[in-house]
Amino acid sequence: MSLKPKQVNFDNVWQELKETVKQVLTMANVPTSVWQDRFSDVYSLCVAFPEPLADKLYFETKQFLENHVQNMLATQVAPPDRNSSERKNILMNYYKAWSEYSKGIEYLNNLYSYLNQQHIKKQKISDADIMYGNASPDNQELMEIGELGLDIWRIYMIQSLGDELVAHTLEGIKEDRMNGIDSKYVEVIHGVIQSFVQVQGYKKKGNLKLYQDLFETPMLNESGKHYRNEAAKLLQRCSVSEYMEEVIKILSDENRRAQRFLDSSSVTKLRKECEERFINDHLDFLYSECKEMVSQEKRKDLRNMYIILKPIPDRLKDLLKQTFLDHIKNEGIETISTLKGENIHIQFVENMLKVHQKYQKLIADVFENDSLFLSALDKACASVVNKRINERQPCRSAELVAKYCDSLLRKSKTTESEIDTKLTNSITIFKYIEDKDVFQKFYSRMLAKRLIHEQSQSMEAEEAMINRLKQACGYEFTNKLHRMFTDISLSADLNNKFNSHLKDENIEIGINLSIKVLQAGAWPLGPTQAAIPFAVPQEFEKSIRMFENFYHTSFSGRKLAWLHHLCHGELKMSYLKKSYIVTMQTYQMAMLLLFESCDSLTCKEIQETLQLNDETFQKHMQSLIESKLLTSSTENFERDTEIRLNFDYSNKRTKFKISAALQRETPQEVEHTMNAVDEDRKLYLQAAIVRIMKSRKILRHNALIQEILSQSKVSFTPSISMIKKCIESLIDKQYIERTPNSGDEYSYVA
Amino acid sequence: MKVKIKSWMGVATWRWIANDENCGICRMSFENCCPECSLPGDDCPLVWGACSHCFHMHCIVKWLNSQPNSQQCPMCRQNWKFNIQ
Repeated sequence: MSLKPKQVNFDNVWQELKETVKQVLTMANVPTSVWQDRFSDVYSLCVAFPEPLADKLYFETKQFLENHVQNMLATQVAPPDRNSSERKNILMNYYKAWSEYSKGIEYLNNLYSYLNQQHIKKQKISDADIMYGNASPDNQELMEIGELGLDIWRIYMIQSLGDELVAHTLEGIKEDRMNGIDSKYVEVIHGVIQSFVQVQGYKKKGNLKLYQDLFETPMLNESGKHYRNEAAKLLQRCSVSEYMEEVIKILSDENRRAQRFLDSSSVTKLRKECEERFINDHLDFLYSECKEMVSQEKRKDLRNMYIILKPIPDRLKDLLKQTFLDHIKNEGIETISTLKGENIHIQFVENMLKVHQKYQKLIADVFENDSLFLSALDKACASVVNKRINERQPCRSAELVAKYCDSLLRKSKTTESEIDTKLTNSITIFKYIEDKDVFQKFYSRMLAKRLIHEQSQSMEAEEAMINRLKQACGYEFTNKLHRMFTDISLSADLNNKFNSHLKDENIEIGINLSIKVLQAGAWPLGPTQAAIPFAVPQEFEKSIRMFENFYHTSFSGRKLAWLHHLCHGELKMSYLKKSYIVTMQTYQMAMLLLFESCDSLTCKEIQETLQLNDETFQKHMQSLIESKLLTSSTENFERDTEIRLNFDYSNKRTKFKISAALQRETPQEVEHTMNAVDEDRKLYLQAAIVRIMKSRKILRHNALIQEILSQSKVSFTPSISMIKKCIESLIDKQYIERTPNSGDEYSYVA
Repeated sequence: MKVKIKSWMGVATWRWIANDENCGICRMSFENCCPECSLPGDDCPLVWGACSHCFHMHCIVKWLNSQPNSQQCPMCRQNWKFNIQ
């Protein structure tokens, strides 16, 4: 066969071609050789000489297709004289005809591919034209044969039968909702519905429009009506909990139904309709028992409620959340407001943790860890933890949590791993504390005591805890705590060096010295107690001098100040029947050492020799009397009260400790800590104000407050009045001033 | 001997011995560190000059680096020499 253009007789060729077209459309058998001949016939018509006959071919084919479809309609699908039982079969007939035709037209499109490619595509408007709206709505444009075929089907078949078809499909779906229909029929209905989509499938724009106008809208209306009725029926006979269960079932049924019958684009729309009718329309009903469900923690109902409400962005979810939040809050407040007794701090943290864990689990089980509910849990816990039980007193949570950590980190019989988990958990509560700076103050005081008195369970546990705090609050928060650790390990080195120095110099001091040298700024020791006057007994003054000299040679330019109230030592008593080794504080040691040369002394003598103030003297003498190592002639210590060594003293143990009143946290100390925190806050705020004003130069009052709040958020929430006071004092100090024109604006004074 | 000291656990704090309260360069107190540092202590030491004036080490080094020609003490204008005690 030659590809050269040649003269062709159109009528002859078309006669043959027409036969084949018919065979193709009716899915009759077309031998390969015939197919190829007709394929080249199309070609030769398109390139015919002297005139190409493509337009004529197109026109004739169109004519033929129109006739064919009309014929199908009249004979196969909907004969004009059909009776009512045949009418019922319309879906079946249509489906059969469509299946045949749609496949046939696809093949025909291939047969005409030369015409499509060379003749029609060339004059087709491009995608870009469609996108940018340049295309003129010119219906006369030529279509590819496949498209033409589909369009003809739409015009002759769907336009005349559409409504009838839709009515029947809707009928079918309704039937399926009531009783279910067999899968063959489902396939037919699905096929019919799909034909509405496929018949426009070639369109680049609005290809679902026919489907939506013709079928989807009535289908949604019809379904909506059905849902409304169903919902009304359910409401009459069901409780909320039953209703929710039914709705969940219906939702999943409808979803499955949508997938079986409808085009995939409609599935979500139908679901939405379903949710609207069953859930959104009856929110008040659903909510009516919400409170009860939450307060009784009906997990199954809450779970159902969550499933139902999840897809709906609505106020109800907020109501559920709010109810849930209030419920947790109430429970939390209840559990912490009834605390009594010695170990309030343990109860506080552990009860709070129980509440937290319980609801965390509930959220995981019931609400799929939805962040909405997790944040409700956080909010509830935060408001419980930061609640002031007594309006007049500051919130004690920070102190209690710090104490809890302290009780765990002190030497005890609890196992290492248990301590570890408990401390990890305590961080959960810690994170809710607003006044983190208060926590820090208490924590560092307690840490200082543990370190100085060597009461820590283990250094690993201490360090692990500090790292947890660092993770939660950042480096700034813990660097003083780290500093304290460094001092302790530096001191250990120092003692080793001192001891080897003594060895090298062949000096025997007779006392086993162990000294902790702390950096003044890093330890929360309080300035008041450092300056208690005290005459160090000569028995160990020499050793102290020796150490001081050693220290000064190692570190020049430094001055040591002894904190005798924090020192303690071991005394060996050899004047009694048995010899005892007693651990006690330095002041008590000093008192006992005075009895070396005599057996009795007056209070005045003791106090003057040691140059102690009244308070210190009273306190330590009292504990020596209580321990029965000394006896006193009067109940109270007057100046001339006689103190004697008790030679009859005996104790089952040979090694013991005289407890000192000092280690207990007194109410004053708590108050002291709170005051210190307040002072720190003022300094912090002032520094923040200066920083902000320095960079902004001029700022309005409210904007300044906002910036301060956002900066201080990490460690505490300052009261507005405190911020105002700080601003005032900075104005007094002339760091900032009010701008002359406006009352509520400040400017930075350089 | 009736009683004898077996051992003693002492606690002391250390401070800088300086002839002034504040550093003459940054005006911060010697109890605190220089403005560049966040914590007082070993990381921000004090140094003494032969003229007996005392500064934060960071402060005086910065000062000396900013004076290309003469290395003088900012307080007394004598030539600056580190005093190694």
